[in-house]
Amino acid sequence: MSNNNKKWFSLNLNSRKKESNTCGCGNASGGCHSNAPKQELSEKEFFDAAVNASIGEERTRDGFDQVFDVKMDRRSAFKKLTASLLIGAGAVSTSCSVITDDETKEKAQIDWEEQFKGNYKLMSDDEKKATVDRLVRSYQLRTGKTISMSSKNAEADVLFGYAFNISKCQGYMDCVSACVKENNQDRSSQMQYIRIHEMKDGKGLSFDEADDNYYHEVPAEGHFYLGTQCFHCDNPPCVEVCPVQATWREDDGLVVVDYDWCVGCRYCMAACPYDGRRFNWSKPEVPENEVNHNQHYLGNRMRKKGVMEKCTFCVQRSRSGKNPACVEACPTGARVFGNLLDPNSTIRWVLENKKVFRLKEDLGTEPKFWYYMD
Amino acid sequence: MNKHTVAIQFIVITVLALSIYSCKHKEDEYHNVIEKIEAKSKEYKGVTVSSESYFDNIELIEISEDGTSFLIPDRKNQIQSYACTECHSKPLQDMENTDLKKAHWDIEIVHANENTMNCTTCHNPENMDNLKSLTSNHIDFNASYQLCSQCHTKQFEDWKGGAHGKEIGGWAPPRASLTCVNCHNPHNPAFGTKWPARFNTQKIKERK
Ligand code: HEC
Ligand code: HEC
Ligand code: HEC
Ligand code: HEC
Repeated sequence: MSNNNKKWFSLNLNSRKKESNTCGCGNASGGCHSNAPKQELSEKEFFDAAVNASIGEERTRDGFDQVFDVKMDRRSAFKKLTASLLIGAGAVSTSCSVITDDETKEKAQIDWEEQFKGNYKLMSDDEKKATVDRLVRSYQLRTGKTISMSSKNAEADVLFGYAFNISKCQGYMDCVSACVKENNQDRSSQMQYIRIHEMKDGKGLSFDEADDNYYHEVPAEGHFYLGTQCFHCDNPPCVEVCPVQATWREDDGLVVVDYDWCVGCRYCMAACPYDGRRFNWSKPEVPENEVNHNQHYLGNRMRKKGVMEKCTFCVQRSRSGKNPACVEACPTGARVFGNLLDPNSTIRWVLENKKVFRLKEDLGTEPKFWYYMD
Repeated sequence: MNKHTVAIQFIVITVLALSIYSCKHKEDEYHNVIEKIEAKSKEYKGVTVSSESYFDNIELIEISEDGTSFLIPDRKNQIQSYACTECHSKPLQDMENTDLKKAHWDIEIVHANENTMNCTTCHNPENMDNLKSLTSNHIDFNASYQLCSQCHTKQFEDWKGGAHGKEIGGWAPPRASLTCVNCHNPHNPAFGTKWPARFNTQKIKERK
């Protein structure tokens, strides 16, 4: 890598020495050809170096690594960017790329477009579609596997809400397992969006004394169980603090993250009063045969190192009318999910007929996640 | 009216105006989410998605109780020993105390107590193919929730509304919910204890 970098830096793009005037224009005008012999690199070397600098490391790794280990620190990001410029140029003009096969070219083209795509939040529907198509193709090129990725928008007349029955939950944690599988969460760090807190009866809700990682037969005598995850606040403090608008609230109430726009500053994590957000300290890994191929751009698509993620109420499922994986997996029926705007929905019945409460209601965050008892 | 009061009046009015204005949240004109739900659901027109395709191959029947209609799973096809009359062709008392092999040796009632409950509290000794109410009316096996609801009225109300039990398929209409006996074995209805589905070893490390 370092070797490649050297070669690459000796091109004039970044160099302080202004000896030869190699243009970075990708020789659309053909001007570069005349300069080529004077360069330290032949055209083939030039292109290889550029490809290497951008995705070179990835060629030696397995398909999974290739897609998801994207460097996040500024320096390498900058390097990549510059390299992508070169590749983009190369991909446009055929002069440099005779030697490389079509797939490498396509990969480079995809990388180039990915590098410069905008914030998903601001994209038109066509742009969203193009983005997910690109990601699907990229995955296919790199792993040979086909995934499906949706860019389905929020539907009119839908506002998602959730209710949790603390007298029904038995602490079985089937929800947690289902969530991890559904959402392609990192296996090695054992990331979980959901936490189940085992609490002592008669002590109110004291999270300090609760255990969210018990391992004994459940339900334990004299205890009750309370699950937390992202509450999809209607007035979300995490969204306010994001410096780059990489997280926002959709019209159906889902608070989502554009993993590719996130810069990993973790302000949102600090701003969330409910411990609802998770951070990828290392590269998330899922064995290829366990990857859930039914994905949504804002949901369970593969993440990279150094970005935030969290519960999305399984946007890939909920926007098609299904229940989130946790709701489906719960054997006790403690989890109720539905459309708050539908007066005949079960979630509405719970809100209107049971004594419901929310956590830290006084903060004004307006979570769309209620708790109730029988 | 001196200058002072004019100034105060001005401030009061400005503050009032501002506070009324600032009630309008950045993007939403609602004070809280409940208000938003109430306002927006007045114009509710329905959704385009449906749960229909997610019922897999579960056979469902429609029920209607006190104005609430929804789907529940069919039971008669699921009960192995149904139809009961394949064996119970004569009244139960004629079958008992004969040397017939014990057929339901695995069924033991762990539900309420012996004074409240024996087999014929729920099963109809005259016609085994039906359940029976406390007042000896027929209850279809597919409508066994009506049996339970005689004694468990509160749970029944919650179940109808959706606060007890579980919706299957998805959140989108039509609604389909599990029936009582999908979760509770009528002969032993309590939920058992078991080991949690997972254990997070990483968290244990972090805490040390
Ligand atoms: C394979 C034949 C067979 C089938 C099918 C069958 N039974 Fe029975 N059942 C018996 C026999 C034999 C007895 C009497 C001996 C005994 O007590 O087990 C009996 C007894 C009973 C009793 C009385 C038990 C007691 O301890 O007093 C009940 C109640 C009963 N059956 C219910 C049912 C119901 C309900 C079904 C249908 C879901 C059914 N049976 C299907 C063979 C059958
Ligand atoms: C609380 C009411 C209740 C009592 C008491 C009760 N049953 Fe049942 N039983 C039911 C219901 C309801 C079903 C149908 C369950 C289903 O849909 O799966 C059933 C199903 C059965 C079945 C068929 C299901 C199977 O597992 O094969 C048999 C046999 C049966 N009962 C026998 C008995 C016997 C014998 C007794 C007494 C020892 C008894 N029942 C007492 C409510 C009761
Ligand atoms: C004749 C009245 C009666 C009928 C009918 C009846 N139950 Fe019960 N059930 C009781 C009583 C009494 C108790 C014990 C209540 C208690 O311990 O506080 C009980 C307890 C239960 C429990 C709690 C068990 C535990 O130990 O946690 C469940 C669950 C239950 N019933 C479900 C059902 C279901 C499902 C049906 C219908 C198939 C049903 N019951 C029908 C009277 C009835
Ligand atoms: C999705 C599964 C599910 C369905 C469907 C369901 N229950 Fe339950 N029920 C539970 C669970 C879980 C508990 C709590 C068990 C415990 O605490 O031991 C429970 C508890 C109960 C109890 C004990 C008292 C209480 O409220 O904790 C009764 C009685 C009961 N259910 C009756 C019913 C009746 C009647 C129906 C049908 C109208 C029904 N259940 C449908 C899961 C279910």
